Amino acid sequence: MDFKPSPERQILFDTLKKYFENEYSLSDRNIAAHSDLGYSKKAWEAMRDLGILESLIDPELDGFGGTALDISTVFEALGRGLVVEPFLEVGILAAKVLSKGNDVQKSLVKKILKNECLPILAHSETDTEYSKSFVETKLSVEADGSYKISGAKRMLKHVTEATHFLVTCRNTGDASSEEGISIACIPTDREGIKIDSFATIDGGRVSDLTFTNVSISSEELVGELGMSYSIVSHAIDTGILAICSEALGIMERIKELTLEYLKTRKQFGVPIGKFQAIQHRMAQLLVEIEQARSSVINATIYFDDETEREKTISAAKFSIGKIGTLVAEESIQLHGGMGMTWEYDLGHYAKRLVLIDHEFGDEDFHLQKYISL
Amino acid sequence: MDLNFTKEQENFQIEVRSFLSDNLEPQVIEKVKNGIPITKEDSERWHQKLNEKGWLAGTWPKQYGGQEWDVVEKFIFEEECGSAGAPRIVPFGVGMLAPVLMKFGSQEQRDYWLPRMLTGEDWWCQGYSEPGSGSDLASLKTSAVRDGDHYIVNGQKTWTTFAQHANMIFCLVRTSNEGKPQEGISFILIDMNSPGIEVRPIITLDGSHEVNEIFFSEVKVPAKNLVGEENKGWTYAKYLLTHERTGNANVAVSKRKIQKLKKLADDANKNGQPLSNDPMFASRLAQIEIDLQNLEITNLRTLASVENGEAPGAESSIIKILGSEIEQDIDSLTRKSLGKRAFVNEPDALSAGYNGAEVFPKAAAYASGKYFNHRKKSIYAGSNEIQKNIISKLMLNL
Repeated sequence: MDFKPSPERQILFDTLKKYFENEYSLSDRNIAAHSDLGYSKKAWEAMRDLGILESLIDPELDGFGGTALDISTVFEALGRGLVVEPFLEVGILAAKVLSKGNDVQKSLVKKILKNECLPILAHSETDTEYSKSFVETKLSVEADGSYKISGAKRMLKHVTEATHFLVTCRNTGDASSEEGISIACIPTDREGIKIDSFATIDGGRVSDLTFTNVSISSEELVGELGMSYSIVSHAIDTGILAICSEALGIMERIKELTLEYLKTRKQFGVPIGKFQAIQHRMAQLLVEIEQARSSVINATIYFDDETEREKTISAAKFSIGKIGTLVAEESIQLHGGMGMTWEYDLGHYAKRLVLIDHEFGDEDFHLQKYISL
Repeated sequence: MDLNFTKEQENFQIEVRSFLSDNLEPQVIEKVKNGIPITKEDSERWHQKLNEKGWLAGTWPKQYGGQEWDVVEKFIFEEECGSAGAPRIVPFGVGMLAPVLMKFGSQEQRDYWLPRMLTGEDWWCQGYSEPGSGSDLASLKTSAVRDGDHYIVNGQKTWTTFAQHANMIFCLVRTSNEGKPQEGISFILIDMNSPGIEVRPIITLDGSHEVNEIFFSEVKVPAKNLVGEENKGWTYAKYLLTHERTGNANVAVSKRKIQKLKKLADDANKNGQPLSNDPMFASRLAQIEIDLQNLEITNLRTLASVENGEAPGAESSIIKILGSEIEQDIDSLTRKSLGKRAFVNEPDALSAGYNGAEVFPKAAAYASGKYFNHRKKSIYAGSNEIQKNIISKLMLNL
């Protein structure tokens, strides 16, 4: 038995960790994260040069990674850095969908690596909540065999510079059926697409999209008509693994910040970490974070096992949601007023950690899912 | 990352499994699986079977009759025993005193006491806690005063598990009041049949008799029964406690209990529906299952680090907290699942002469009492608060 990452992955993790510590300042990150673009193009390019995207993508598409362990390792490092740039959206969600497409679509993955395109998966809808199969956006078949899409997509991150949308849509079946889901890969400047953008609490901008009779050709479908649920499902499961790992990195960083604070902040003449009431809360956080890590390891182990993947992913997302919220709330409390300030790092980590529970299904959603599987 | 057992470890697992299925008595399995207390004779017969196979003290060196199992082999053996419903090996001799004798005892002590643990000639109990010294163990007052080639022991020990069965006790006693409290403690072996020893049962809230008080009044103990050096007992005690706290994950036992709970929930009705269909119940059960899956990985991670040469350290405190709390959660949900039937203490009803139909399946008969009995798990072997002190000190450096 050995739980250590391979030497290559350890080197990758250490390199990224060091890079974020030295080159990715949180104050610069915060300015970029709350700017009109929602991230820093300069940082995005610098981090691409480190090979982060390649480590998320299969060798056959010009990457050098792409396994569950690679993704988990990289996203834990990204979490430590509180990186807001679109690695999840582009490197995971879009790349995983496109890798199941035709040759033209596969070549878009290679173009991602060359910084020649930035595709975004447009899946979630107002009434979707967190379901992977809930799609009301309509795909209609025209007389000439071409298609039209009408509907709305909500809360999509990092759309501003996007070159392509991967739009989930439905030509048959009721709104939550796994049957009848298609994915259309279209340029973002196609006629009939309206974009409204908003700032977010945890950094990065989100957009709502409206599609009105947007024309697509049959070559623009990813996978076969009405048969693409498994592609979306697998991409989102990969996304869940990624943000669970990101949450682990965030929790480790929060643990460091909080411990440092407990050892330096003095009240009643002693560091507050000398008080047993504080020690026991911190010890409990440590125990919970170890359990969170075990849940992600479990999900990583079973990721390629078709019968176990969804169950272990839901167990991990549930654990991360429950423990992440606890860690965020407790660490703010242990920091007292300092935890409440914009200027100090902790609050920004805590915000992202809490909002990870709102991505791809929260703890209640995944507990119910776990029960149903 | 490689989470598989090696071929040798897999073979060992198969061997343990087949040994258990060939040698465990069905009536004992029935007791263990239903939470019914096993008798001293049940334990002794099982110890004897294991000893014949050389597995009663598998982690011991070969020269003393062990197999030199490493942490993974020990884990495999204990997990297989847990899922098969084997009685727990009574740990006080083979698991707790023996490592201390091997590290700190004299050769004469090892040669005399270790074989007797294996043959069952001695049944050991542990004399640590006192009425005024629980978590603050170092404040203990039971005194031993040297008088020629004997010590004279006076004082009181408490919470002594199975003292009613034991013929020997290893005790922490005060031999000096100089310096820090830790510096005046010695580790000594006392014959329970010595004049001046009185054992009184403590009946716990579930009505069972596991623990006792022991009173020592002018008890004469041969000086050769001192382990190691006088006033160095605290070091030996701490060494023993790290052994006591390993193997507290109890994953296999908890898994078995969850299966039993699921069966109970299928058979029980709530509003005319099986309890397992109740969303509140299903939610509680699923959360425990997920916690247990996570603990299984956390425990394996600790084992892997020990296997790779890192000291277990405070990680055993993490495992102790999680293992005890998850088992308590299962016991608690099992009690809830009984609904109104949780009021009945069926063993009491039976011993009081009730001879009607079984009120409910055996699996449920002891569940309510077990829930109360198992509140002990977060208290014993260093309360969970003490475990958090250890984590704060050793892992958080607070």
